[in-house]
Amino acid sequence: MTSRIILQLALSGLSIGSIYALVGLALVLPFKASGIVNFAQGEIVTFGAYLALILTGLGLPYLAVVPLVLIGAAAFGTVIERLLIRPIVHQPEFTLVIVTFAIGFIIKSAIRLHWQDNTFSIEAPFVGPPLVLGELRLNPAYLVYIATTVLVVVALLFFFGHSKFGKAMRATAIDPIAAKLMGVRIGSVFSAAWALSTMLGASVGLLLAPVIGINPEIGHLILKGLVAAVIGGFTSLGGALAGGLLLGLLETYAGAFFGATFKNLVPFGVLILLLLLRPQGLAGASSVRRV
Amino acid sequence: MHTRTMLILLGLALLAALPLIATSYYLYLVELAMINVIVAIGLNLLSGNCGQISLCNASFMGIGAYCTALCTTRLGLPVLIALPSGAMTSALLGAALGYPARRLSGLYLALTTLGFLELVGVVIEEFPEITGGIRGLKVPRPEMFGYSFQSNVSLYFFVLVLTMGAITVGYNIQRSRYGRAFDAVRQSPFAAQALGIPVARIKVIAFSLNAGFAGFAGGLLASVVGFIDPPEFGILTSIQHITFIVVGGLGSVAGSIAGAVLLTALPEVLRGVQEYSELIYGLILLGTLMFLPQGLVGVVAKFDGLRSAKPPAKEPAYGAP
Amino acid sequence: MALLEINALSVRFGGVTAVTDLSLAISAGEIHGIIGPNGAGKTSLINAITGMVTPYSGSIRFSNKEIVGVAPHMISSFGLGRTFQHVELFADRSVFDNVLTGFFRHQSYGVFAAAAWFAKASKSERRTQDLTRALLDAFDLAPLADTRAGLLPFGVQKRVDIARALAAEPKLLLLDEPVSGMSEAEAEAAVATMRKLAREHGITLVVVEHNMRVLMNLAERVTVLNQGRLLASGTPVEMQADAAVIEAYLGDAV
Repeated sequence: MTSRIILQLALSGLSIGSIYALVGLALVLPFKASGIVNFAQGEIVTFGAYLALILTGLGLPYLAVVPLVLIGAAAFGTVIERLLIRPIVHQPEFTLVIVTFAIGFIIKSAIRLHWQDNTFSIEAPFVGPPLVLGELRLNPAYLVYIATTVLVVVALLFFFGHSKFGKAMRATAIDPIAAKLMGVRIGSVFSAAWALSTMLGASVGLLLAPVIGINPEIGHLILKGLVAAVIGGFTSLGGALAGGLLLGLLETYAGAFFGATFKNLVPFGVLILLLLLRPQGLAGASSVRRV
Repeated sequence: MHTRTMLILLGLALLAALPLIATSYYLYLVELAMINVIVAIGLNLLSGNCGQISLCNASFMGIGAYCTALCTTRLGLPVLIALPSGAMTSALLGAALGYPARRLSGLYLALTTLGFLELVGVVIEEFPEITGGIRGLKVPRPEMFGYSFQSNVSLYFFVLVLTMGAITVGYNIQRSRYGRAFDAVRQSPFAAQALGIPVARIKVIAFSLNAGFAGFAGGLLASVVGFIDPPEFGILTSIQHITFIVVGGLGSVAGSIAGAVLLTALPEVLRGVQEYSELIYGLILLGTLMFLPQGLVGVVAKFDGLRSAKPPAKEPAYGAP
Repeated sequence: MALLEINALSVRFGGVTAVTDLSLAISAGEIHGIIGPNGAGKTSLINAITGMVTPYSGSIRFSNKEIVGVAPHMISSFGLGRTFQHVELFADRSVFDNVLTGFFRHQSYGVFAAAAWFAKASKSERRTQDLTRALLDAFDLAPLADTRAGLLPFGVQKRVDIARALAAEPKLLLLDEPVSGMSEAEAEAAVATMRKLAREHGITLVVVEHNMRVLMNLAERVTVLNQGRLLASGTPVEMQADAAVIEAYLGDAV
């Protein structure tokens, strides 16, 4: 087992892990703000990919499509939050979980209605032959994935740490009533959290589309994002990042050393073990509700 | 005679007479509806009564289906042993999942069941020597005491009788102390504990019963359809099952029946607009959750005045001289 | 030997010490009041006794069995019941069903008997339903039997809570502010019913209240808590006259 292979696998693992981390972040954000997990997040990724398909179909180049998709996704997220989530925020958890599933289901069926199960492809500047760096061969897409995730995390850290709105979000996550009393408009905070998270989800769609193609099933990777979020205790952004990267690495190495079967079992094995033995994740606080 | 009893007898008579007028295709549809009724009743015990969210109901159906199929094809067992074996296996695995998950609720329980669902899916696909993998498994018609239910009509009555049995069991459990305990655990685990109800054990029982019903239904499905394959037991099917009980009415046997029957019939009604059926399904689920949280049973009860029973206008003054 | 023996109990949570070094003994058949201003640690004490909260230190013995660390439903099955300050009824079930559920631990048929509705199950259900009706009658709840519990006024809900707790046939019943929310007349009647049932069935009552007047007619002995500590203990009359108690209560209804 040469170090070259190990490094190569590490790169592979980190890059797919970055994608998982992004989805995980997209899941943790609205949970931190409003306590709701958006099980439609996978379909948001799909939505982002198909929106990119539509816009490139109009003749726009990929780089022009990116900001448009992000804005469109943010708007979409805000609409969903205002119209569908806000009215039911006080319903039991059962309803909240199923409602977001239903929303995802509707998005997916609508997409399948129009585009059926065909796979489409779009072009992007970062798709190309591997870059050669010494003994390593680097897929440029991988580098873009990792770079994007780093940028996103840095931006989020800055946003939450130093911006007024970010601080408002943190306050709302800790104690919505106190935040409200201090003048924070928690309705706007909720909408912003959802908008941010749908933007993140759609960006994953943008990143994946040129590499793996566009079809209705790409939303299935929400599961990986969920595992990443759980590893991070579901309340920690840094934890979701670490969780995603860890999951990506685990999967890649498991697949390389033990075969595809094992690789497929890794995420769910990890998920179940964590949930049953240490639901607060490897990083989160020990305040998970147990009856 | 009580109206409800009359309606039930009428329904039974219609069902018994159905083979006289229906084609084998419609008999098949009714069989599917009955299988879904069994699934819905089991899920309602867990989610509607006991309030535990489960996204892996389809997995238990699959476990029962594969178990029953293997018992009949590989072990040559008669269906009256194969079906209960499938249901029992499923029930045991339901308890196995419910036990470690007994302290979880809401989101984390949902995620655990989701993980279990995916795990079972992977296991089914990765061991094709046993399960037939993604190619699926063929299942012969059930056989009992040497009699093979080859004719469609005999199969129909086989399913009908078993479904009636399952409905009775579901109804019995709901009106027993276990049904009350399930409700207690859902509404106030603290009060339940103060009354000596072992909350964790009740949850495990609920999981086990749910899995048992689903496994039984799965075994029946294998026998009726004659073929099973993995996509049938994925997240979409689990959501379908949840839709049955949400639309029909959470916590109600009648609701389970209504929801399962209506939503099994729906794709038929939407034959003309087949492509839209999935979308409509999702919209119905969303709409019911948002606007009709009590389901169909709630709508009927509103007319009946049952669910909104108000205290008598002049409350007898307690303690007044 | 006391039925309930609390020794040097301390309860802490969230950095706050709710109960400090409390010792208390309650004899079987007694009607004992625990009183104190808000924040005195009364509810924490109840939660510790019923096992909802693990005490920081100390011991609680019920029927000569140590119950610290025992699961709440087991403690209940030993014969220790409670009612709740904020009721905790099964809101979408009828009053009848609520009280019927209280009989759970006295029914013994299993899941299979339930599924097949064997005679064991049907007989048990019939018997329990009769007992429920009797209990509802005792509390004048019969006319409201089919009403959804969540729709009732708070004071009536408290009555249902008490009836339900009694259905479990406890040896000792902890009542957390049982008459708050009731009118004068309701409270008096509830107190009279509780006293009657306690005498008839030999149930020990521990009534936690912040209103001394209620305890005047009901309790034989009263323990006064203040800021998590035991302040004084004696008959209601003695407590009413006690200088330290009066001072702690300045401004509260005594």
